[in-house]
Amino acid sequence: MKLKDGIAVVTGAGGGLGRALALDLAARGMRVAALGRSAGGVEETAAMGRAGQILPVVADVADARAVRAAFAQLAEAGPVTVLINNAAVYPRRDFLDESGESFAETVAINLGGMVNCTRAALDGMCEVGRGRIVNVSTFADIAPLPASSAYAVSKGAGRIFSRALVADLADRFPGIVISDWMPGMLATRMGVAQGLDPAQAARWGAALALWDDPALNGAVFEMDREILPPRGLKGRIKDTLLMRRRRARVIET
Amino acid sequence: MSSNIRNTLWDVIVIGAGMGGGVIGRRLAERGLKVLFVEKGPQGYRAERQGLNPEMGDPVARRLRGYWPGRVRARIDGRASEFFGPIGAGVGGSSVFYAATLERPERHDLEPVEGRPHPTGGWPVGFDSMRDWYAEAEDLLHVCGEADPLSPEPADPLAAPPPLSGVDRALMQSLRGAGLNPYRQHSAIRYLEGCEDCLGSKCPRACKMDGRSAGVEPALATGRAALLADCEVRRLCGTADHVSHIEVARGGETFELRARHFVLAGGALGSPRLLLASASEAWPEGCANASGMVGRNLMFHLNEIFALWPPRGTPQDGPGKAISLRDFYHWQGQRFGTVQAMGIAAGYGEIVHALNGMFDRSALRNLRALRHLTRLPAAVAARLLGRAQVFVGLMEDLGYSENRVTWDARAPEAIDIDYTLNPELLARRRAFRRAIKAGLRGHRAFFLTHAPELNFGHPCGTLRMGDDPATSVLDAECRAHGIGNLHVADASFMPSSMGVNPSLTIAANALRVAEGIVRRREAGE
Repeated sequence: MKLKDGIAVVTGAGGGLGRALALDLAARGMRVAALGRSAGGVEETAAMGRAGQILPVVADVADARAVRAAFAQLAEAGPVTVLINNAAVYPRRDFLDESGESFAETVAINLGGMVNCTRAALDGMCEVGRGRIVNVSTFADIAPLPASSAYAVSKGAGRIFSRALVADLADRFPGIVISDWMPGMLATRMGVAQGLDPAQAARWGAALALWDDPALNGAVFEMDREILPPRGLKGRIKDTLLMRRRRARVIET
Repeated sequence: MSSNIRNTLWDVIVIGAGMGGGVIGRRLAERGLKVLFVEKGPQGYRAERQGLNPEMGDPVARRLRGYWPGRVRARIDGRASEFFGPIGAGVGGSSVFYAATLERPERHDLEPVEGRPHPTGGWPVGFDSMRDWYAEAEDLLHVCGEADPLSPEPADPLAAPPPLSGVDRALMQSLRGAGLNPYRQHSAIRYLEGCEDCLGSKCPRACKMDGRSAGVEPALATGRAALLADCEVRRLCGTADHVSHIEVARGGETFELRARHFVLAGGALGSPRLLLASASEAWPEGCANASGMVGRNLMFHLNEIFALWPPRGTPQDGPGKAISLRDFYHWQGQRFGTVQAMGIAAGYGEIVHALNGMFDRSALRNLRALRHLTRLPAAVAARLLGRAQVFVGLMEDLGYSENRVTWDARAPEAIDIDYTLNPELLARRRAFRRAIKAGLRGHRAFFLTHAPELNFGHPCGTLRMGDDPATSVLDAECRAHGIGNLHVADASFMPSSMGVNPSLTIAANALRVAEGIVRRREAGE
């Protein structure tokens, strides 16, 4: 079965990058489930696509039960072959203004949402041994900015989650391929005004989500280019000698 | 479900759902018996693709993947070592990870033949009485391949193998040119559309035939069999001549399961351990161990692995696991074994690894900096010769009672073995290597193993079948001497290790043992 024959679930698809991803995938002929917290947002996204191509699904990714129910319902429409974990919030908040509860709420959406949707999607993917999961990521964990603690922690944890998934699944289900993708600074509500057009970023994201190659398992991409794991001088020399130097892969849109 | 299973008096409980257990359970269920498989490992996901991974050390992760969770604790020639063996624990057992080479043994493997005396005097079951069971097992397991041109035995028809790759065609030709007799290896792969040749890894479809796809799954499909996975058998219980029930642990609970007949199929390393663990008032030395022979006569094969380059100019269209030859099987009065392609291509990395091994045993071994220089000849070889095909010569091991599996109640997950490389074995091995080398003259070939390498994936012999209860554990029908309702259907029964892969013999014997159970049941015994 081809990835394109199934359904792609895009979370946080009521606006911004999520909407752009949903539209781009739909334009490539894929059936898309646009998942979002508010009915208004995802219905608007669905209305922007060709009739029936984008299915609006209302669910709060932080709510495990709601996510399970949403995926159970989707399974009746067809197999979920692609999942883009895009939903996230970025509250700009000094840590002194956070409470334990407010911090946990951000973690529940940014990390918990990824966990809930991935867990639900894997039911079907493990059945057939095929699937593609792209986790939208950032470098926010490497050097956290001020007033970004909950975002930096939860998105950083999301990257660890990708690696943990690979550790659990890659050898058993090489056909379920998990990658991290950093879209870059975008001109969205969550991003910056002078940032990149989300439609441009979505072209890369959608192409990456449909790039069906087991060798992409655990790979990390920034915009359209792979980021190779860091390698010291000694390691680089060794790689050259052993004729196994790696080159960064580039997403072809 | 579980309480139903617990309250049933089963016709047969099969302990261990690997090649032997799967096949016997299938046949018994097909013959109308109510069968329960009790399997230590998990059922797993059908779409799983993993191979065995000796680097994976975490017992939880190992168990999930269907690997035996604990280490093998081996004393080999008195030296202790610990490692993860190529042993499965899950539905299909080790067979889901095998390379599906199912070859029949030779007549002299089972009985004495003129000029070829048998090391045990012969199995209680002769070659001719096994033939029909082999044919039936080949049928059940969809074995494809071609007859060995050297065999004097009538050949039963096998399924047609897929076309040869260019590399294999060239090798076949050049081996014939050297006066050898290669033939298409016998393989339990159906080559369904999109087949990915799951050699050494779990097959996601019923394409590779193993204890799961040809055993447990068809058994469950009859509606008369049930499976209790993730269920550890702690001990067999009963009176001197009868097993009444087994004690099992599952999900933190301990309970008993009952049946009229019990079939032990936990593998040649697992089954004797369970019998030893079942020591009780009725069986002070362990169940079925009045002879003290339980766990003894442990045999493996010795692997002689070599790289064989196809003639220059051969297209490099990937590895094939297509060729077997028996030219060295029994040679100048010596018991050797079969030679077969492993389905691996050796490139630069494998050659570096092998050369480093040679370096580490050489006089230069303390000059570590020089070790890097092995890369140069390896790179040259890879550049000039292309990729080699890796072959293995399997050499028969003989049973010695001091080679054995033991049981340590303090470490129930560990598999303890004590094994001495007999001088006779080492001498035979040198002769086997010389024979291979001489036979392959005119070919570019290169041994990748140097020290004797035991094939821990081929254990057998630990519950020897024999007519004398003083020197064997099982009778000719693989029933425990003195315990009428305890049968064995794994590789433990083999009196000798033969010169071929054990799986087909395990399956054929399992069918034979099943028939014995059915026959006695119908006779009202």
